[in-house]
Amino acid sequence: MIELQHICKSFGDHQVLDDISVRYERGKTNLIIGASGSGKSVLTKCTVGLIEPDSGSVVYDGKDFTLMNLNERKAVRKEIGMLFQGGALFDSMTVAENVKFPLQMHSQMSEEEMMHRVNECLQRVDLVNANDKFPAEISGGMQKRVGIARAISLEPKYLFCDEPNSGLDPATSVLIDNLIQEITYENQITTVVITHDMNSVMEIGDKVLFIYQGRKAWEGSRDNIFNTDSKELADLVFASDLMKQIRTENRK
Amino acid sequence: MDSLGLGSFGIITIISFFMGAVITLQTASNIDSALIPAYTVGFTARQSIILEFSPTIIALILAGKVGSNITSEIGLMRVTEQIDALEIMGINSASFLIVPKIIAAVLINPFLVIWSMFIGIYGGYLVATFSGAITPEAYIYGVQFDFDFFSVNYALIKTVFFAFIITSLPAFFGYTVKGGALEVGKASTQGVVASSIVILIVNYLITQVLLI
Repeated sequence: MIELQHICKSFGDHQVLDDISVRYERGKTNLIIGASGSGKSVLTKCTVGLIEPDSGSVVYDGKDFTLMNLNERKAVRKEIGMLFQGGALFDSMTVAENVKFPLQMHSQMSEEEMMHRVNECLQRVDLVNANDKFPAEISGGMQKRVGIARAISLEPKYLFCDEPNSGLDPATSVLIDNLIQEITYENQITTVVITHDMNSVMEIGDKVLFIYQGRKAWEGSRDNIFNTDSKELADLVFASDLMKQIRTENRK
Repeated sequence: MDSLGLGSFGIITIISFFMGAVITLQTASNIDSALIPAYTVGFTARQSIILEFSPTIIALILAGKVGSNITSEIGLMRVTEQIDALEIMGINSASFLIVPKIIAAVLINPFLVIWSMFIGIYGGYLVATFSGAITPEAYIYGVQFDFDFFSVNYALIKTVFFAFIITSLPAFFGYTVKGGALEVGKASTQGVVASSIVILIVNYLITQVLLI
């Protein structure tokens, strides 16, 4: 479980995050939604320590991350897996080397054990016969799957996914969503997903945090999002005619 | 080590050969007095190559070739979040990405410079042999004349400093880049310009300290 308490962050005069408190539950996919520029990515970067919040605290299973020294933070980060929006795969390494990299850095496994784990992770994300390919030689969807395989290779306790569906076709998006949810349930991971994709919200939103202009505007789940009173949330989620129809049908 | 040093082997060989040849020809064509012995050409070529050309000019060439490569590589890693990915994995990205490059350059560049010295002097020898500007014997005598091994040490000391500059400054510009492809390109240019200027200043300071 990860708990954010009163997180504030400004860049110059511009306040990006204003007193955000939320609890990300273990074994659930926790979604952060909001319009572009609302502060979702900054909130996540504050959570993993890539950006220091101006005030507030980030607590990982009772341990305050913001008060930790460098070595203590490193120890927590070894338990974090992160899927970046663009994949962030290492260009100079093959698919297998990318997935193996965290194992080389942090595990005591033999080469044979590492390769076994690499193949296990790649099979888990339905990637076969791609071990020797470089990131530039595979599609965007495959890169995302390699990113997930790399993120789960060390069996993390916390998984962060920054817009895992951006730039993907609908079928691949569903595949990625299902994969993230399965991994979360199987390994009881605390998963945090930033998304713009309303299909993802409806499919895997065990818990949904809506950020509007840097503030927490709504918190709930996919089941009660149809009955929201928040105008800002309704404007975002039900922006398309299709989603409006779904809401109307759902309310009947 | 390959991209930082061994990959530059070819260009250093070609440049050193022709620079040695040209230094020899120019010196020979400018010494037009019976009072100055012919072997002075070999002596001048050796001193120019060992003291200045091989360590400094090669460092400036490497600053352009290797420096831009380092800035682009690390800058691209920054803008594509690969450096963030390293940090998330609990890895000190600066140490992981930059320190090995500095160590590799500091270890390999002295060998490149020694190679450049040999090739430069050999280029001068071939020109002396085939152009008829001076006799090969006079050139060899000049190359050996009043040789002080400290000049090689001085060149190698400079090379170690230059190797550090060539790798650390471009790495800094790449590591701190923000934005996209345009900013990476600008950072690459800034890295090369800054390291070239710092090389020239450090060259002056080391010369002042060690030779004067």
